[in-house]
Amino acid sequence: MNRRIKRIDELAQDIPPPRDLWQGISAAIEADKAAAAAPAQKQSGRRSFWMPAAGLAASVLLVALGVFIGQIIGNKRGPLDDGVAQTVPAPRNENTPELRHAKYTNQREELLREVNAKLATMPPADRAKVAASLETLSKSIKDIEAALGHDPANALLQELLVSSCQEEMRALTAVRDSGREEI
Amino acid sequence: MKTDTVVEFDVALIERARRGDAKAFERLYRDHVGRVHGLCLRMTRNPDLAADCVQDAFIKAWKALPKFEARASFSTWLHRIAVNTVLEKRRGPANAEIAVEDPTVHEEPAMSFDSPVEEEELEAAIESLPQGARDALVLCGVYGYEHSEAASMLGIAVGTCKAQLHRARGLLKERLERGVR
Repeated sequence: MNRRIKRIDELAQDIPPPRDLWQGISAAIEADKAAAAAPAQKQSGRRSFWMPAAGLAASVLLVALGVFIGQIIGNKRGPLDDGVAQTVPAPRNENTPELRHAKYTNQREELLREVNAKLATMPPADRAKVAASLETLSKSIKDIEAALGHDPANALLQELLVSSCQEEMRALTAVRDSGREEI
Repeated sequence: MKTDTVVEFDVALIERARRGDAKAFERLYRDHVGRVHGLCLRMTRNPDLAADCVQDAFIKAWKALPKFEARASFSTWLHRIAVNTVLEKRRGPANAEIAVEDPTVHEEPAMSFDSPVEEEELEAAIESLPQGARDALVLCGVYGYEHSEAASMLGIAVGTCKAQLHRARGLLKERLERGVR
């Protein structure tokens, strides 16, 4: 019924929703409780959602940086040595043996040595960009590893780590091989 | 106005919900959902968005229950979360349309009309108001919050809230007169 009122505060404050919204709320509460109860997630009930999201973001960043490095290498100018030492980050703590086996570690360390040597021959501006990008790549992988530390069984994170490491190797190889084109 | 018994019952439910009792929280939801939905619907003017806001607000409330201070009003606390959720979904401050701040605007009594107005017509007129003015009118006029409370919920200055309410009243009166004739 459309009643007539004389004051605005006579308007009904209660307007029931057209459908029961409790189901959705209840599902979220149950998920929250389950996350809080999980032994690996005692510190934060949101981790199960945010950690894969952070890993995914890191992975997207890795791909973008890989492309960025490729562009820098593609547009490189002639070698220029101004004597400023700029290196890529040191090898990380390899604490996920099932994914980061010894062969990979050795290959990566060797690549890093070659890349560091290559960086020294690059123009300062390019060198700074590439070094910063490689450092960000490395940090992104560390973030995914940290997320895996909290949720080791997360298949999505495991997949992200593998693809991210491959992406980093591709980027390192691109930097190293850019020197060979000049010869 | 809630009686002491009802308030005490709320306190007991809140305490149980804080300890993880979802049934107690469901009871709180059933008791408060109408007011929260009314507020969200009037602020968003969109039934689907309002329903989303209600769900999000209750989920946030569940998660934030450990921080709720028992001496505060649960209803006001819940409304604050709901308003915040609406503002987040809008992705902009409530006073984005105009930046009015006039502390000299005096407090006005609850808005009344010379002749009775149909509820539907009034709701339509409120719906047609600009966002900032509508927010102030809904919180202060319909839900009876003080300017300071409404301003705090909306993240605006008290003077801005007063000015928005003043503007809302003027526009509402104008639109109702125009609609009637």
